[in-house]
Amino acid sequence: MSDTGGGSGKGDASVEKAREDFLSEAQELVDGLSRDLLLLDQQSRHGESDPDLVKDVFRAVHTLKGLSGLFGAVRMAAVSHELEEALDDLRLGRLELGVRVMDLLFRAVELYGLLLLAEKGHGPEPTKDVEALLLGLGQLTHQGEQGPQNQLAQYEIDSSVLGVLTEYEEHRLRTNIKSGVSLYRIRVQFSLSTIDTALDELKAAARPHGEIITYLPSDAGSDADTIALEILMASHAEVETLRAALTGLSLTIEPVKRRGAGRSSAPVPPPKGPPSRLALGELDDADVAQWPGDPARQDALAPLPSPAAGANPPPTVPPAAGADAAGANRDLSLRSVSQTVRVDIRKLDNLMNVVGELAMARAALGRLTDRVRSQPGLRPLGIELHRLQRTFDRHLTQMQNGILEVRMVPLGQVFEKLARVVRQISRENDKEVNLVITGAETEIDKLIVEELSDPLMHMMRNAIDHGIESRDERHLVGKPVVGTIALNAFQKGNHVLIEVEDDGMGMSPAVLVDTAIRRGLVSPAEAADLSPRDIYNLVFLPGFTTKDTATDLSGRGVGMDVVKTNIAKLGGVVDISSEVGIGTKITITLPITLAIISVLGVEVAGRSFAVPLANVEEAIVLDEALVRNFDGREALTQRGTTLPICRLARLFDLSAEAGADTRRRDTRACVVIAAVGNRRLGFVVDRLIGQQDIVIKALGKSLKGVKGFAGATELGDQRVRLVLDVAALIEEVLATDKERIGLKEGAVAR
Amino acid sequence: MSGLSRRRPDRLAARRAADLGKRVEYLAFGLAGEAYAVPIALVAEILKPLPITHVPRAPHVVVGLMTVRGRLITVIDLRRRLRLPETPIDPRSRILIADTGEEQIGLLVDEVMQVYRLAEAEIESAQVLGGDQQAYLAGIGRPEGALLILLDLRPLLET
Repeated sequence: MSDTGGGSGKGDASVEKAREDFLSEAQELVDGLSRDLLLLDQQSRHGESDPDLVKDVFRAVHTLKGLSGLFGAVRMAAVSHELEEALDDLRLGRLELGVRVMDLLFRAVELYGLLLLAEKGHGPEPTKDVEALLLGLGQLTHQGEQGPQNQLAQYEIDSSVLGVLTEYEEHRLRTNIKSGVSLYRIRVQFSLSTIDTALDELKAAARPHGEIITYLPSDAGSDADTIALEILMASHAEVETLRAALTGLSLTIEPVKRRGAGRSSAPVPPPKGPPSRLALGELDDADVAQWPGDPARQDALAPLPSPAAGANPPPTVPPAAGADAAGANRDLSLRSVSQTVRVDIRKLDNLMNVVGELAMARAALGRLTDRVRSQPGLRPLGIELHRLQRTFDRHLTQMQNGILEVRMVPLGQVFEKLARVVRQISRENDKEVNLVITGAETEIDKLIVEELSDPLMHMMRNAIDHGIESRDERHLVGKPVVGTIALNAFQKGNHVLIEVEDDGMGMSPAVLVDTAIRRGLVSPAEAADLSPRDIYNLVFLPGFTTKDTATDLSGRGVGMDVVKTNIAKLGGVVDISSEVGIGTKITITLPITLAIISVLGVEVAGRSFAVPLANVEEAIVLDEALVRNFDGREALTQRGTTLPICRLARLFDLSAEAGADTRRRDTRACVVIAAVGNRRLGFVVDRLIGQQDIVIKALGKSLKGVKGFAGATELGDQRVRLVLDVAALIEEVLATDKERIGLKEGAVAR
Repeated sequence: MSGLSRRRPDRLAARRAADLGKRVEYLAFGLAGEAYAVPIALVAEILKPLPITHVPRAPHVVVGLMTVRGRLITVIDLRRRLRLPETPIDPRSRILIADTGEEQIGLLVDEVMQVYRLAEAEIESAQVLGGDQQAYLAGIGRPEGALLILLDLRPLLET
């Protein structure tokens, strides 16, 4: 390889590397934190909170504190410290989980994001925000644990047990007693050699039914090889249910009696009561009722699957089912973290390039093999070569797929951020909105995911600001007061579809047309000719907004055109459908990966180009007789609609090379019909060469001023074929429309 | 002041030593009958002409794209860049792969000549030609008897 760039010094490099690791680990923790908080937010709205979740959040912040301290990120460490205190109080029940606390926690997550950006040198230090948050955290008033002070005494729990409970365990015990569940004492004997796994098994089996408050070794029955445990458990289940659930384990279960209710029995190390799982169970039921579609809710709440496909669940955890799914999955995700490798996307790009080169070598090898095989004297050698080549082929394909797979990340990465945005915007707007996510596990190329968050954010803002009606309006028309935005993702062939669907007021075609005319985006005459589809697509015009006053959220007339442009840049398409009073649905169609794309090879004036298949609708033979000339522009009528066409040879100013083209004069030219977003254009080419999967490479900086090419690819014979940037070309060719619009806009402004 | 003057003889001596010992290597190549040269440290490779793909709409100086071991490289015709008369690519033509720091660029030249080790004393400033000189003229190299036009690649490849 001709790499000549030298790295920086070894020492610098390793420090830099450690720092990068720190930043990406911190980012991962913050992402996880955000996930957990959303879950917690859901629960807190029902007045519940899963203690395990609070513990996870606490732990994440604790780790962040340690990390940031280690790397001298002073502000982050300070924030983490205060946050840790607050979470500790929350964990121990000294602080109540309310909207105010949740707001602070969410703000902390935002702040972590800003701090990380600042650490990476991509943003200013959010000094003010840090101070504001620290102040807010300091002002949280602590409530003392009240209530069941005496309730503890009501149970026959040995004082020696009560004495050794940690503050946390005691808090859990009180909380459980307060919620009125039963306490059980479980005695179990474990072999010392298997205690770790056996205890895990027991916990997993008990979890759906309640909470294990504590377990203490007891003297009774312990010998050299075994150990006896006394477990205090809180459960809403009957003792029989528990016995059934824990069957197969050699243990005894007995309810802890209340004093006065029966005879006072011998003091036994008491299991303590766990009602928290009950809480989660109830929450799930409530959730199911509120979130349409159970799978949706599961997807929204379940942690992301690890990208490492091989991350098997620990063998001791039985398949989680029902109410406990969320909890069990969380354990799973905690474990899979250690099986994940963080890789710089650039390294994958490099690997991708190497594979691309191998593919070239494969093609050359194929040609060579064919030549050898065609020589009678070399047949045996040819056959052997052929066999070798096939093996090479197969493995190369596997490698290609493998690398592509590694580049894939679940869309959930963006969706989580959106959930946070939706929560914030709907609160600011005083609207209640449920975001229902399905398909968060749908995978797409990492590079695409990064480019998606802005467009999707715009769409969420639009849906809440323009789509979802106010509470009163919704009530009046008999819709549920809480609005719903469905965010669905799924794979369809070589594409990933993302739908954003709201159950708001929808868009009225009349209002859209009216607005477009008022803003001078179309003339009344043009407006009369618009098809229903065209009308919805008006919102993609720059400067389009139906709001007369811009808010913080939207109405500034930037947004949907940016969405369209960004999606088009990724080779994607945006579609809108809407029904007045019912809602609006926007669908984004994206290619799964950017690195390898399918293209249609075309020949123009003896030169070959590639058109990304993602942009190609179809190719037809050009019938010159059907070409009409409008105002210096050519168009065809195709299935009742007008299709503007553009002759690539003319667009690129290519004159037919001598010889190369004349022989094919007799063959008829073709029209490759390309579409990006709502615009279609037919490219006239001399002939089609065929379909191919290619590795696309960016053009160098020296060609950055050249518009119309997305990159280039290497053919097998060391030749380069340019890949058309269909979006840019369509934009350019159809620009006159826009210019007209621009002029009109200018005239209106003046 | 006095300190400076006292040190001056030392500095001169050091420079003379450097002139003798430390020299810069230049790769000389021909363009329209003249000899040009660039520091060889900036040349990663010298290649025989490979198939080059024309890029529509690219600036006139761009010959096109080629690939070298999987890497896309833009090829610039130095004749066109220096406004010299054009000649077709022939078997003696070479493509120098120059590293500009930002990207590798191929420079199409008529022929590659030889490497010269030039001492500072053998380099005249471009100012000797008088008037306003192009920014890409780094100087005139005068190894025994020959005359090399030294090019500064960065301004040459800008735009």
